[in-house]
Amino acid sequence: MLALHDLQRVFKGGLLADDEETVLAHIAGDGLDPRARLAIYRHHVLTTLTATLESAFPVVCQLVDKRFFAYAADAFIRDHPPAGACLVEYGAIFSEFLEGFPPCQGHPYLPDMARLEWAVHQAAQVAEVRPLDRARFDAIPLDDLPALRFSMDPTLSYVSSPWPVDKIWRAHQDGAEPAELLDLSAGGACLEVRGVADGVSVRVLDPAAYALRHALAVGVMLEEAAGEALAVDPSFDLIGAIHQLLQDQTFTDFTRAT
Amino acid sequence: MSANYGPGRPDARAGIGLRAPHVGELLATRPAVPWLEVHPENYMMGGAALASLETARRDYPVSFHGVGLSLGSAGDIDRRHLERLKTLVDRIEPCLVSEHLSWSTSGGAYLNHLLPLPYTDETLAVVASHIQEVQETLGQSILIENPSSYLRFRHSTIPEPEFLAELARRTGCGLLCDVNNIYVTAWNLGLDAIVYLDALPTATVIEIHVAGHARNDADSQTILIDNHGSHVAPPVWTLYREALQRFGPVPTLVEWDTDIPELSVLLAEACTADGLLEAARARGGHARAA
Repeated sequence: MLALHDLQRVFKGGLLADDEETVLAHIAGDGLDPRARLAIYRHHVLTTLTATLESAFPVVCQLVDKRFFAYAADAFIRDHPPAGACLVEYGAIFSEFLEGFPPCQGHPYLPDMARLEWAVHQAAQVAEVRPLDRARFDAIPLDDLPALRFSMDPTLSYVSSPWPVDKIWRAHQDGAEPAELLDLSAGGACLEVRGVADGVSVRVLDPAAYALRHALAVGVMLEEAAGEALAVDPSFDLIGAIHQLLQDQTFTDFTRAT
Repeated sequence: MSANYGPGRPDARAGIGLRAPHVGELLATRPAVPWLEVHPENYMMGGAALASLETARRDYPVSFHGVGLSLGSAGDIDRRHLERLKTLVDRIEPCLVSEHLSWSTSGGAYLNHLLPLPYTDETLAVVASHIQEVQETLGQSILIENPSSYLRFRHSTIPEPEFLAELARRTGCGLLCDVNNIYVTAWNLGLDAIVYLDALPTATVIEIHVAGHARNDADSQTILIDNHGSHVAPPVWTLYREALQRFGPVPTLVEWDTDIPELSVLLAEACTADGLLEAARARGGHARAA
């Protein structure tokens, strides 16, 4: 008799790897082919997880059409099933998967579109953002500012791409003008994605501002983040950019580096 | 000993699942439904969903019907998931917390379905241990729901209702009797639904679910699929009447999770259940533990 742990392992193999012979031996037919019984579970797992991915990546789905998306999703689900029961978290590595998925090779913009959509999906999950304690910040001596590390609005993320994924994304939003054929040579973008009151905003940043904000978002000290921005554009208005960050209420907290 | 299932069990009337397409209308019109039920997994990551749940909670009791704990998995319970559930229980104070007699995770993969268990002594020990861990962490008793099944394992030795009864006896958990699941399981596995109902210890049934199912023809056989996507089928209402005769009036939840209709349709289903509950009350006679 198979121990429960082993039965569940071979059942999983029967669902995801089509490796069903072992588990079929343990399933009673009761008037129906055990294969058909197992298939009911497999069908539910694959279709509901495909639907989860469709709802997280609606533009990718529209770009490749539903049938192709289901084909890609099927491969993704079998290789990378969810790690937990909160399915809003499922799909974080879908863009990486698309990068290595041979049928997608002719569409090199797809992984970056998936990256952008994941950033949008995540931004929509957060409801409450605690603002920065301005009094505490304003009390910091100017000389100490370069050594600060910041926590940012948790809905923020940064996506850069050589492809015009922001234009493609906008063209697929509700109420967008029907797009003429999008010019993939239109150039790339540095994008800031953020949750806002009535949804999610996708904003184009100039490359130096992107370098600054992205560096701060990954916890780099202000001095170092400023260095990265100035390396992109030596004439970058750093002070103005910091004022803008404060005005945009980008920061939620800060610490002094020791 | 009276088990503690949560602050204030719902009345023995019919509640509805709180579904995303209905939230706006429900909060605007505040229908006189006695309680709501949600999947806690949809709210564990916070966000706008949790905010609207908290708003609903101000006016309605809410019960939690979990799908992610995987009580039947052979390994350890996912502690991170259990902690997320506890945080949500502490925040929302649900009137009941229930989960499923099933498994979903194996080798770190969550398979997004309520998968079938072999009913053996080993499985009994595993599930009982997990229920006890959950009850200790939450500080309250939970309900276990009978699953809808599409297969039976050859090496099962314990009939499903007896398995549930033994779980209740060992752990002090209650039972969530899903009448549609009994009907679907009985059809799919050639069981007798009335025999199943008779085997459930009456005092342990704390909540009832009713829902719709679909008929699926495969290999010229009809299999019933528990898809919660339609009205409750007439034979399930009949089985529900049988259940009320055995268990007395029990808080009943109408589930409708796919092809979700207008809120008014769901409320009408709850009215049908309320009518049957009222008839059961009028018959009286069945003494239930409070």
